[in-house]
Amino acid sequence: MGQKLNARLWAMLLLVASGGFLVGCGAETPEAEAPDTAIEEPTAETATDGEEEGILEIRASGEDRAVEGFTSKDGWELSFDHIYVTFDEVTAFQSDPPFDAQADDSIQAVQEVRLPELTTVDLTADPDDEDSVLIDEVAAPAGRYNALSWKMAQATDGPAEGYSMVFQGTATRDGETIDFTLKMSPEFTYTCGDFIGDERKGILEADSMADLQATFHLDHLFGDAGKADDDSTNLMALGFDPLANLAEDGVVDVSTDELEELLSEEEYAMLTDMVIPELGHVGEGHCQVSELS
Amino acid sequence: MKLPPLALLTLAGVGGLPTAALGHGVILERQATEAIEVTAQYDTGEPLTEAQVLVFSPEDPQNPWSQGRTDDQGRFWFRPDQDLVGTWEVIVRQAGHGGLVTVEVEETGAATAENPAAEGDDSGSSMQSASVNGVNDVANLSPLHRVVLMGTTIWGFIGTALFFWRRKD
Repeated sequence: MGQKLNARLWAMLLLVASGGFLVGCGAETPEAEAPDTAIEEPTAETATDGEEEGILEIRASGEDRAVEGFTSKDGWELSFDHIYVTFDEVTAFQSDPPFDAQADDSIQAVQEVRLPELTTVDLTADPDDEDSVLIDEVAAPAGRYNALSWKMAQATDGPAEGYSMVFQGTATRDGETIDFTLKMSPEFTYTCGDFIGDERKGILEADSMADLQATFHLDHLFGDAGKADDDSTNLMALGFDPLANLAEDGVVDVSTDELEELLSEEEYAMLTDMVIPELGHVGEGHCQVSELS
Repeated sequence: MKLPPLALLTLAGVGGLPTAALGHGVILERQATEAIEVTAQYDTGEPLTEAQVLVFSPEDPQNPWSQGRTDDQGRFWFRPDQDLVGTWEVIVRQAGHGGLVTVEVEETGAATAENPAAEGDDSGSSMQSASVNGVNDVANLSPLHRVVLMGTTIWGFIGTALFFWRRKD
């Protein structure tokens, strides 16, 4: 009798325990572990020991528009004899993590190389490359160069002396031809991330050669008839009409300092606050821009 | 009072519930996998539809690991190889507009968006966002699995109770 009571007592305990387990099961729904979203700390993994080097070319491009010309948003057919741009403090970086120009980030360089001199180039011509022109080249540790910065500075000598960017060319519309020279003096620093284009750039292996490219989008200045009128590029571009209106005897030769007096306040603000800062890219990749003067 | 040895073992089993369940032959496995969603749009809110997408693994930044096109809402999904730990890069391009977003795949297999806002454009109308979401596909038990798990465990308790409850003739 005592054994039977003990057995029944334990059976009751088991049933009560199973009931408790059911409650426990209901309360403890299986949960997937959330992925660890912590961002890894930057490391110097991509830096090299300095012994394995290659040659890094830094090039500049005005794309096809600089070489072949194009039609502005207001119908002027533009061709360019020269587009001078002056570069200073051109620096290529291996950034880890990769630099995001649209965030409030700064480049976290594990390696960097800088061109030594202020250099003026002409975006319209290079006998070896129709699409870009060499600024300079530098011996650099092998690795992945995924960020580029430069100052668009005023030239100290040469055909663009005193200006950071100079356009010389011809505009034609409805039988009217205007020879134009537009001289820009504002200086900006462009800080850009990885090149985005048809090919990847900046991947430098030892005893090899790679290149990076500073790219200038001329449609931001003149607009592009190939795009819709309400395309944001055209909405934010100056066009050529404001310059054509200043021409005398088919010639306009003007600087941005003079344009401050000659353009409307709205047009001048567009030129200096929106157009010139938007000129610099890395392929299709964006840049952070800060004005120097 | 002297406790029956079998009862002690069963009580110990209450603390080790999964053992009791798996003892009835139900094998439960969980595998966390992750898919990455990239969304590309201009700052006007207009999506980059049918845009070219190139995915580069940490092993080869030169040649795409995968490629495709965004859908009509500017979205693209891919599932990175969790064995390739490091920074993955996704480039989205369309007619001169482009942006890049990176995804960090860590040792644990977790994927983290390094720069959820993509960079780049051709027009001042930048690709404004490239959201990256980790998705756990198989981590949760299905309702059927839960029912089977609870049922087999309860039946184990009831059977054991009936064993002690039975009359000895």
